[in-house]
Amino acid sequence: MIELDNATKVYGDGTVAVEDVSFEVEEGETVTLVGPSGCGKTTTMTMVNRLTEISDGDIRIDGTSVLDQDPIELRRNIGYVIQEIGLFEHMTVAENISIVPDLRGWSDEEKSARVEELLDLIELPQTVADQYPGNLSGGQRQRVGVARAMAAEPDIILMDEPFGALDPITRQNLQEEFLEIQRALDVTIMFVTHDIDEALKMGDKVAVLRDGELVQYDAPKDLLGSPKNEFVADFIGEDRVLKQLTAVSVREVMTAPKDGDGAGERPLSPEESLKVALQRILQDGSPKMVVENGEVVGRLTEADVAAVAGARASEVLQQ
Amino acid sequence: MKPTLTIVGDTFQWILDNTDSLLEQTIQHLNVSLTSVFIALVLWIPLGLFVHEHEEFAPPVIGTAGMILTLPSLALLPLLIPVVGIGVAPAVVALVLYSALPMIRNTFTGLDEVDESMIRAGRGLGMTDRELLFKVKIPMALPVIFAGIRQAAVLVIGITTIAAFFGAGGLGEAIFAGIRLDYPRQVLGATIVVSALAIATDYGLLLVQRSLPGGSLSDES
Repeated sequence: MIELDNATKVYGDGTVAVEDVSFEVEEGETVTLVGPSGCGKTTTMTMVNRLTEISDGDIRIDGTSVLDQDPIELRRNIGYVIQEIGLFEHMTVAENISIVPDLRGWSDEEKSARVEELLDLIELPQTVADQYPGNLSGGQRQRVGVARAMAAEPDIILMDEPFGALDPITRQNLQEEFLEIQRALDVTIMFVTHDIDEALKMGDKVAVLRDGELVQYDAPKDLLGSPKNEFVADFIGEDRVLKQLTAVSVREVMTAPKDGDGAGERPLSPEESLKVALQRILQDGSPKMVVENGEVVGRLTEADVAAVAGARASEVLQQ
Repeated sequence: MKPTLTIVGDTFQWILDNTDSLLEQTIQHLNVSLTSVFIALVLWIPLGLFVHEHEEFAPPVIGTAGMILTLPSLALLPLLIPVVGIGVAPAVVALVLYSALPMIRNTFTGLDEVDESMIRAGRGLGMTDRELLFKVKIPMALPVIFAGIRQAAVLVIGITTIAAFFGAGGLGEAIFAGIRLDYPRQVLGATIVVSALAIATDYGLLLVQRSLPGGSLSDES
């Protein structure tokens, strides 16, 4: 668990980059930090691995203040991914991935076993292990960057706009893949982005920052349903209701199937978002069945979806 | 006046007739040059690293090295004789001094050009300053540093020729003797061998430089 306790960063010239930011990241959770540029999101995150030193307040990892830990040891225990990736161009992909294990003195067998495992995880062919990063595409490079951060099995990974420099299609693919990887691993993630859609998609919780202060810290659904103020509402954008449908899964809304319901045409998976579900319902003009592991587990109608959107929308209007 | 072809023919005939002494002088020449380049490496590459870590020293150090390079060797060598005597010693001192600019400047520039994102990533992953220097910065800067070494080596091989005038030996001896004896084929022949030596060194080191990771990307001479 990461606890930020009134974390504050004031630079030598008096600029306040981050002021009294407090929130907690539960173990295994992904928190996205989002806000306009200059809001202090990256500074907030880098205070966790002490690339930025806290001026005031504290940050604790599992109860121990980061200030009481050796910064080098601390950073080796925390994965780190940046937008520019920063792959070491003179090292092969395998050497890049195993850099932290190497710094920690793992044996060659342990390192190559880990590289093999990670290449599988990030869905790159084993043949890239001996290639230099210069030969890889942008998406492949960023995958390697993620693998490098995970190599020494850290409990925490910090990601600074990791998919920011990629084209929209690659970015979306990587987001999906990363969500899968993240579900499979029990790792706590802090993820900085300026893109609210990415923040809502990737985060179990979203921290919205503005001018160095934490404006709202909530699960995506709650952020969409009840933005705390106009700034958050504006930042989320006009298409709030549609975004909300993206954030809610079919499982949360579906009703029990009636006896004798067949799977029907193009059934839904319970993990699908309401947005995809609504699109399919509208296209086919009929309610959809929800199928999991070959079994019908629920049904979803247009009215069910509308109820969610309507309820949330009216909640927002009350604010 | 003899036709050109005869001069060329005579020169090559002279080279073939004097392979033994030329070989000996080539070895002497290389001995002086390589000793100088080696001493220069030990001095200037660390100095280049130092001025990169302490940038306030970079302008005076690189400026001084640049000034040294503008001193003509025929002026610098006699100046060194009262200090270190005659023979190989003043030659080596002068050649080491001449190597300062390419080596220090390229080390500094090479390190300076290392992509900032790699350094940030390295630091974020928990590298110490030392690990960053030896695992990331120096390997990444190596092609540029090596280009500086190559440049210095070629320069040194050329200037070693002049050092023969002050008793350092090498292929310059044959050239100066040829001038004194008014024997053009000897002057030309020895010059061709020096040039071949310089070109071979340049090309050989270029091949090494290209074989370094990322070396083919930076072909600064």
